[in-house]
Amino acid sequence: MPFTDLDAPGIARALAQIVERPEDVADVFLERREELELPPEDAAPGVRLRREEGLAVRLTRGRKTWLASTDRLVAKDFQDALRRVARAQPRLGYPLKQLQPSPWPEPPAAEEVLSFPAAVRRALRRRQARFRCRLVVRRHRRWLQVIGPRLASPVEREAFYSVVAETPWTRHGVLLTRLDDEAADGVARRLVRAYHCRDATPPEPWRGPCVLGPSAAAVLLHEAVAHALEADTLAAGGHPEAAVGVALGAAGLDVVDDPTSAPDAVRRTVDDEGMPALRRHLLRGGVVEQPLCDAVWARSSEVLAAGAGRRSDRHRPPAPRSTHLELAPGELAREELLAGAGGGLYLPVAERGHLDPLSGRFVLRFPYGRRIRNQTAGEPVGPAAMHGRVAELLQAITGIGSEARLAGAGWCAKGGMTLPVWATVPALRLEGVEVR
Amino acid sequence: MSRHETVDEQVLEVVGTLAAEGWPAVEVHWKRGRSRTLRYDPHHQVSCLRREEGWAVRAGDERRSFFFAASGPPRPDAPWPAADGGGLRLPPAQPVPSWTLPADVDEPILGENEAVALVRGIERALDTELPGARLLGAELEDGSSESQLGSSRGVRARFRQRSAHLHLEAIGPDGPVAGSVALETVARAARRFHPVALARRLADRLAVALRGSSPPRDRGELLLAPAVTCQLLAALGPLWIGPEAEARTAALGDQGGRIAGGAVTVIDDGRMAGGILESPVDGEGVPTRPVRLVEAGRLRQPLLAWWQSPEELHRASGCSLRPGWRDLPRPGPTHLYLEPDGDAAVTDLLAGVARGYYLLDVEGRPDVALERDRFALPVCGFRIERGRAAGALSGARLTGAVSAFLHGIVAVARDLTFQPLSGGMIGAPSVLVRGLELRRRN
Repeated sequence: MPFTDLDAPGIARALAQIVERPEDVADVFLERREELELPPEDAAPGVRLRREEGLAVRLTRGRKTWLASTDRLVAKDFQDALRRVARAQPRLGYPLKQLQPSPWPEPPAAEEVLSFPAAVRRALRRRQARFRCRLVVRRHRRWLQVIGPRLASPVEREAFYSVVAETPWTRHGVLLTRLDDEAADGVARRLVRAYHCRDATPPEPWRGPCVLGPSAAAVLLHEAVAHALEADTLAAGGHPEAAVGVALGAAGLDVVDDPTSAPDAVRRTVDDEGMPALRRHLLRGGVVEQPLCDAVWARSSEVLAAGAGRRSDRHRPPAPRSTHLELAPGELAREELLAGAGGGLYLPVAERGHLDPLSGRFVLRFPYGRRIRNQTAGEPVGPAAMHGRVAELLQAITGIGSEARLAGAGWCAKGGMTLPVWATVPALRLEGVEVR
Repeated sequence: MSRHETVDEQVLEVVGTLAAEGWPAVEVHWKRGRSRTLRYDPHHQVSCLRREEGWAVRAGDERRSFFFAASGPPRPDAPWPAADGGGLRLPPAQPVPSWTLPADVDEPILGENEAVALVRGIERALDTELPGARLLGAELEDGSSESQLGSSRGVRARFRQRSAHLHLEAIGPDGPVAGSVALETVARAARRFHPVALARRLADRLAVALRGSSPPRDRGELLLAPAVTCQLLAALGPLWIGPEAEARTAALGDQGGRIAGGAVTVIDDGRMAGGILESPVDGEGVPTRPVRLVEAGRLRQPLLAWWQSPEELHRASGCSLRPGWRDLPRPGPTHLYLEPDGDAAVTDLLAGVARGYYLLDVEGRPDVALERDRFALPVCGFRIERGRAAGALSGARLTGAVSAFLHGIVAVARDLTFQPLSGGMIGAPSVLVRGLELRRRN
């Protein structure tokens, strides 16, 4: 662990000097990250390794936050950041024994990264598919620690992979916690699906039933529940507390954000502000229970709970975001979901979604789908988009699949931050939704 | 750790170390930057001061190569990854035409109070222009950076840059339910932003969004403001950027071989005086220069990086973009713009519109299908009759053939304006276009 030898008590003491009021929020965010990238085999340069570390000092007082960040983990830069956040020359210096992280280890062995393209090609061959596919495989690792004026959080570690596959007809990106044959088969399966639908015509504008596969359902819930219930998003229309108790979704809808139950490699015990991560019911029985909230928003409320503060990196202040969404499974097998959606669309994958926080309007885009015939996914259809308002879409959910899967993980971009997000959800059936 | 104190020496030490290890192609890039960001909304104000520093190595031979990047100053004992993939070639050192560092590069970045005053000034001016309108959010970033490059092929380059970026989001007197409008703008330094001018642009957009409507379908003369033309110019980048550009434009040519109207001249210029990315060399140390890509409607040459035109190096220009130390260089537009007509005022073009539309801004991203020769762009603006505004237009889509757009440009004005798009700066003046259609969006 890179930060185990740091003088955490010294950092906390130094930080305590800039805290003047009980309600001040102050912390030091220490970060080390590494990205190992394997580009397509004909690309130069070959293996790409990026390593960085640094820190940020933050102080929130009243309605103002100051953040000073640096790319060097050295005592001088820490003291300089403290001075800039305090906006004053201190009477005393901020003495520190040690702000030297452990040295970086040797370049990591990355056999799983180097062998993954070949594993995908093998999986494509098993499916009798042969087409040109350019793969970029990355391994992401991050270590972080948050030190407050009184407490230091444990060092948290995240490790995951991202894969981008490009073919002449599609670009498919996915986040994975393992790179093994099963993961390679999953990438190949999606590429082959996209191949079969490559010339399909988009569906005519239409309103009716749709079944979303777990991956597409995860994107729907991320955009329509998680983003809609972030404290900063809610604040655009009023006080975030006002959302608590609002019936937003169908009665059976239980949506949870739980970083503590995320896959091992990305599981978190504290958030990026050092606050304990919570199992948070965003919706319970379709009713808003606990919006996503960071320390700054929680400070001004007795209802909102911190623990969902996330930072894309040390140079940006934290903001409330989801980490790992869960939807409680229902009782319907896949065939039963399809049986109730005859003539509708089966949409296994969503490529992106967008929520307008002011109007609540929502667009979810799908690269391809299939028409549902005789309780099965039939002929392919081309790109489609689902439109609606958040509450309408969530009320339109009439069936929840019985099998929840880790699915729909991807990069979430909002407010200049790009974060990995995860989800464990089943398939969903919606009725009366607008697709065009 | 490095034995040297100056970055110059540290860069060359890493080049020398890797060359001594047997790598024939080695390049070291170092960059340091400082910026202030102010995020402002009705609930909170966040002031960030960032100090960023990092460096990167590209090294390899004819068969394999690697890339390593790290925060902090360059060091020769970094743990290089195993080389793999394709071979690496680096540009040769070339003479750099004389260059004077613009004076404003040394201008200090905005202080916190100045940044707050600027945003509050915009907010006050907005309320004056459109009473009841207010800012929903603002993000202002003002920063400067310095970079150094050294390579085993003799490239030695130092350059500095200065830029400010402002994003504004505003709502009208009816509150958030009626929706919001956003505006992005850049300048070399934040002190160049004019609160009243920015507030007017926001107020125009809000007024149009509040009162505007769209006809189901209509045609007529269209005056496209720079914000609209820049988006189209950026989306049409594949027509003039890269080695495939000539093949792509072949289908757009008329019988005389023109791909656009005679008023269309497109230039890329990494040295453009006053430009945000103004620099004597690009991200690989290749000298920048103005290149005329399209001249009077004819494609003269595409925008090419040195490695995309190895047999005809004279056609290439310094156009490798390298936004940060983590990034590999990639070819792209530097300051790519539609050449303005210094004699034509926008008001002159507007006065000549008997019946048509003045398209002020975009309401979404362009959708361009070059292979089908089609494009669509969500727009807003005003209906024009006899040179005067006759009603607000909103919820419309500008659509037509890409070739019709390019050949339909009949006049350009002198109000050249740049926007940060496609990783570079894309510029255009207002243009008068015929042959396109407006349709109501669903």
